[in-house]
Amino acid sequence: MNHSLLMALLILAPFVGFLINGTRYKKHSGNVAGSIATAAMVVSFVSAILLVLDVVAMPAESRRIAVTFFEWMAIDKFKVNAGFVVDQISSIMILVITGVGTLIHLFSIGYMHHDKGVAKYFAYLNLFIFNMLLLVLGDSLLVMFVGWEGVGLCSYLLIGFWFTDKEKAAAGMKAFITNRVGDAAFLLGMFVLFMTFGTLNFSELNALAPTTMESSWLGAVTLGTLFLFIGATGKSAQIPLYVWLPDAMAGPTPVSALIHAATMVTAGVYMIVRLNPLFIMAPNTMMVIAIIGAATAVLAATIGMTQWDIKKVLAYSTVSQLGYMFLACGVGAFGAAMFHLMTHAFFKALMFLGSGSVIHAMHEEQDIRKMGALKKYLPITHVTFFLGWLAIIGAPPFAGFFSKDEILAYTFNSPLGSPWLWAAGALGATLTAFYMTRLMALTFWGKSRVPSSVHPHESPAIMTIPLIVLAILSVIGGWIGIPHVIGEHLGHIPNVWEHWLHPMISPIPGWQAIDHTTEWTLMGVSVGLATVSAIVAYQFYVKSPEAPKKFVESIKPVYNLVYNKYFVDEAYFAGIINPLVNISKNTWYYIDVNFIDKMTYWAGDLMRGMGSMVRSTQTGNMQQYAMYIGIGIVVALSFVIMG
Amino acid sequence: MNSDFINNIGLTHYLVLAAMLFVTGMAGVLFRRNVIVLLMSIELMLNSVNLTFVAFSKFLGILDGHIMVFFVMTIAAAEAAVGLALAVTIFKRFNEVNIRFFEHLKG
Amino acid sequence: MTADAFLFWFLAIVTLVSGLSVILNSNPIYSALCLAMTMVGVSALFVTLNAYFIAGVQLIVYAGAVMVLFVMVIMLFDLKKDLQTFARGMFTGGVKLASVGLIAGLVVGAIKSAELFTEKVADNPVTTGNGMESTKALGQILFTKYIFGFEALGVLLLVIAVGAVALARSKGGTHEQ
Repeated sequence: MNHSLLMALLILAPFVGFLINGTRYKKHSGNVAGSIATAAMVVSFVSAILLVLDVVAMPAESRRIAVTFFEWMAIDKFKVNAGFVVDQISSIMILVITGVGTLIHLFSIGYMHHDKGVAKYFAYLNLFIFNMLLLVLGDSLLVMFVGWEGVGLCSYLLIGFWFTDKEKAAAGMKAFITNRVGDAAFLLGMFVLFMTFGTLNFSELNALAPTTMESSWLGAVTLGTLFLFIGATGKSAQIPLYVWLPDAMAGPTPVSALIHAATMVTAGVYMIVRLNPLFIMAPNTMMVIAIIGAATAVLAATIGMTQWDIKKVLAYSTVSQLGYMFLACGVGAFGAAMFHLMTHAFFKALMFLGSGSVIHAMHEEQDIRKMGALKKYLPITHVTFFLGWLAIIGAPPFAGFFSKDEILAYTFNSPLGSPWLWAAGALGATLTAFYMTRLMALTFWGKSRVPSSVHPHESPAIMTIPLIVLAILSVIGGWIGIPHVIGEHLGHIPNVWEHWLHPMISPIPGWQAIDHTTEWTLMGVSVGLATVSAIVAYQFYVKSPEAPKKFVESIKPVYNLVYNKYFVDEAYFAGIINPLVNISKNTWYYIDVNFIDKMTYWAGDLMRGMGSMVRSTQTGNMQQYAMYIGIGIVVALSFVIMG
Repeated sequence: MNSDFINNIGLTHYLVLAAMLFVTGMAGVLFRRNVIVLLMSIELMLNSVNLTFVAFSKFLGILDGHIMVFFVMTIAAAEAAVGLALAVTIFKRFNEVNIRFFEHLKG
Repeated sequence: MTADAFLFWFLAIVTLVSGLSVILNSNPIYSALCLAMTMVGVSALFVTLNAYFIAGVQLIVYAGAVMVLFVMVIMLFDLKKDLQTFARGMFTGGVKLASVGLIAGLVVGAIKSAELFTEKVADNPVTTGNGMESTKALGQILFTKYIFGFEALGVLLLVIAVGAVALARSKGGTHEQ
């Protein structure tokens, strides 16, 4: 099949699914809607596989399928095509999006079975996939931005899916508005880049990227990339715009798995990797990205340690892991960022779906204080979740181990990184191991705290099969990126990942290969820290359940600070939202009501007054009208004769 | 008045006569209350205009004025027909021909 | 006083007096008779202006057909005497009177002040011709130069005929069925 057709199938299949379910959402039952949506996803997935196989078959230096459907707009020099590209980077993304997306669609059939708006739900989900594909396939920033906005919309729709609950609707709005802040910066970034380079096309931008580093903070490349990064902090939930993601857990759990863990929130990372030749030439931006990433990784992990809602823990974990990806981008390890993006998509989607299975079993209960010892009721969920846990804490040889250690190694060794950043990353990894073990322990192990009215049961096969597939991927997903230092001891296994991405990634200026001793040491330290942390957590929450309470009592002020999420939401309210609301209220009252409205009223009153003045002449008396004509004739004649 | 004015009849005489007839008709339209008399006054005005046309035609020596009179007469007849039909309709409705009963165009 | 001048003055006085009677009589039937008298006077004035055909038409159409129509309608309504002959209202009445007087004054003044056509023009049917010649010339110009207006008037008359019949047929007013 030719590439245009495949590309059209890939992109449009979910859109067609959206149209079918969206226009007939009142008619379709859950199974019908779910089947249609999943079928659309399968079509999309198969097209993606065929496209990627074609890309693989090409020679390494020219792996690229570009399809231009039509010229979208042409304004003088500003030309944008509706063009889509499958290359090394986007092929990874489309496989993750359509593959994980298909599994999550399948899971949703079981999870959303009882919901009344199920067809609407699947319509939104398909629309999301469509927009996400636009985002990753677009060959220019503008096409990407269309998808960028589209996924934001779908995210809003799905977070507020149960919009009759005011809090959930508010969470949707919070996500949307926070994203708008980032989107505004994204637009500014586009303007700056267009002003500087005269194009928004990725390959042209990357080709035009300067060859020397830009040291000024106000240089065009630095400013443009900085603005784009602020846009990415909105979409990918980084400091300071991360606050929407934990609230986004108000949506259905499969949505959290698909949008708020596996795909949409990684859009910022993808965008940076896409433009890596540009970013690498702006060391100031890179520094900001690395610091923000590391800070987010640690901060979110600390908050995650104190949360009681199973999904909130996972949400903060996602924020933290996204911080890792940005840290990787910031130190120039774009390949590692993409690698972590993929493995994270596997194990975090797995954990979210697993939590969905738990919530389903517990009859919509999300508080882990009311769980415990669920492993005997939910054996499959437990085993898959356990594998996901091993992956996220970085236990070798699971997926998370390879990606996380590659990031940490780069952070330590890169000229753009530093040991301090490495320390932050290692601290984050330690904390991750702690809160994830805590989650495992409180949910599946220890003593049961399940209320007697609830009878947990294992989920049906349609929900467990995606879990099993994702669990397998979480185990083996990392094996395509085994670092040399390990690979050479296992019979020279090549680092497939690095070879694959190599042509797309700009080299880090001043990079020196890491020596093996250091790499082994770093690996050992981080694995050791994680292991210790996990054991401590196990001791805390399984062996002696009273210990955490005592510990918390001893550091009460710190605990309160962290438990309340560092009061960031409150600070935003006091510092930004309330002043803004007050300004708006005053503007409304003093300018709109008292000035503009009154002006229009005056205009109306003036007209009415003038009307009532001349209204009395309209008596309806014909002879009076004739008299007016007579007066007019007199005046006209006078002018003619006298003048 | 000198004898020239009395003996030597010219265009001016006819025009002044027509003007006086016209204002007579106009006074009727303005002051009378009976719809039928109103219509008659309008006929009077049209007649005075006809007189002007014919007088000018004679003193300019061209026939176009006559044609205009011909047209005016036709339209006057038509106007009288419609006006009277309206008067009949109004009379049937109100049993009255006084124009102050029809003041329905008040603002 | 020449015969022409006498004729003019006589007809002018008859026409004006009967015209004033039209608007001053409170009985509509007298008004109608006075109007007929005015029409006849005007018709005679047309004869003094050598417009024989127009004079004939004036007699037949106005004094004949239109006046008969008026009189028939008055008979139909059975109107003896107007209860209220003239419009009331001191102020509007004054304004109306002033505008009428001013128009009369202005027009007459304008006519007097303008030296109009003191010289007679060349011979042609309008100025010198007898009835036959002027009527023939009128017919020629009517059916050649003004044929479009003539046809349009025909159409107008048809419309008027239909409209008048439709109005008279209705049961009176728009408020009742």
